[in-house]
Amino acid sequence: MQSLFGRSLHIRTIDTGSCAVCESEIRLLAAPHYDLHRLGFFFTPSPRHADLLLVTGPAVRAFDQAVKKTYLAMPEPKIVVAVGACPLGGVYSEDAFVHGSLEEVLPVDVFIPGCPPSPLALLQGLLVAVGRLAEKVDALSFVDDEAGTGEW
Amino acid sequence: MAVWFLRGLRRGVITTRYPKAIDSWTASLPTPPAFDARRLTPAVADRLVDVCPSGALIRDYEWLVLDLGACTACGRCIAVSRGVARSSGAFELSTTERGRLIKRIRLRDDVR
Repeated sequence: MQSLFGRSLHIRTIDTGSCAVCESEIRLLAAPHYDLHRLGFFFTPSPRHADLLLVTGPAVRAFDQAVKKTYLAMPEPKIVVAVGACPLGGVYSEDAFVHGSLEEVLPVDVFIPGCPPSPLALLQGLLVAVGRLAEKVDALSFVDDEAGTGEW
Repeated sequence: MAVWFLRGLRRGVITTRYPKAIDSWTASLPTPPAFDARRLTPAVADRLVDVCPSGALIRDYEWLVLDLGACTACGRCIAVSRGVARSSGAFELSTTERGRLIKRIRLRDDVR
């Protein structure tokens, strides 16, 4: 992946009905404290220039065409990252207005949970997406007593 | 001028490693719950499932299923659990497979 994007990767964000808190956290990535530019990530205003699509929101059905057009406008190879509990199917279940999960609309490559995910969680997700950082969630059991861990 | 820019010119590397250091304030971030399996009885589990607003906790017979993707880290389960659930402190949970975010936790029938 590193050789594909040459240590520089451009991100296009798209909001499919999010409450804008995820956007607020994404915007913080460019702040000096997190500074995603030092890691070679940049935001671009056009999907034509983007390598990675950051999608927030519960995949509102009214956005279907816009989401698909954005995805199709991106050059290959492309990565789709679902940001927050909404596109992961957490907050809104499927109904007449929302798909509930982004996977119904786009092939999602990386899932970043959180409501909202902290900018550090977003950075980890972006680095997982480009293969520069390992996932941690597999090693976590969320149980204090090892005897209570289920076979998984 | 930013130090990383000058360092980049000198070494020919324009990007840096991550993370440079662990931020101490991350300990206060809202995070999904972790459970004390020794005290996690079906009655407690049912109370936690009832109070979860986003459907992240589901009871599956003798298992409590925690969907980290659906969890909004609101802390309601921690508030009602009387110490059975605590904040896990884990927030870097990104994954390439949705299934890895679903954790199954075995319930206890007896309180020891």
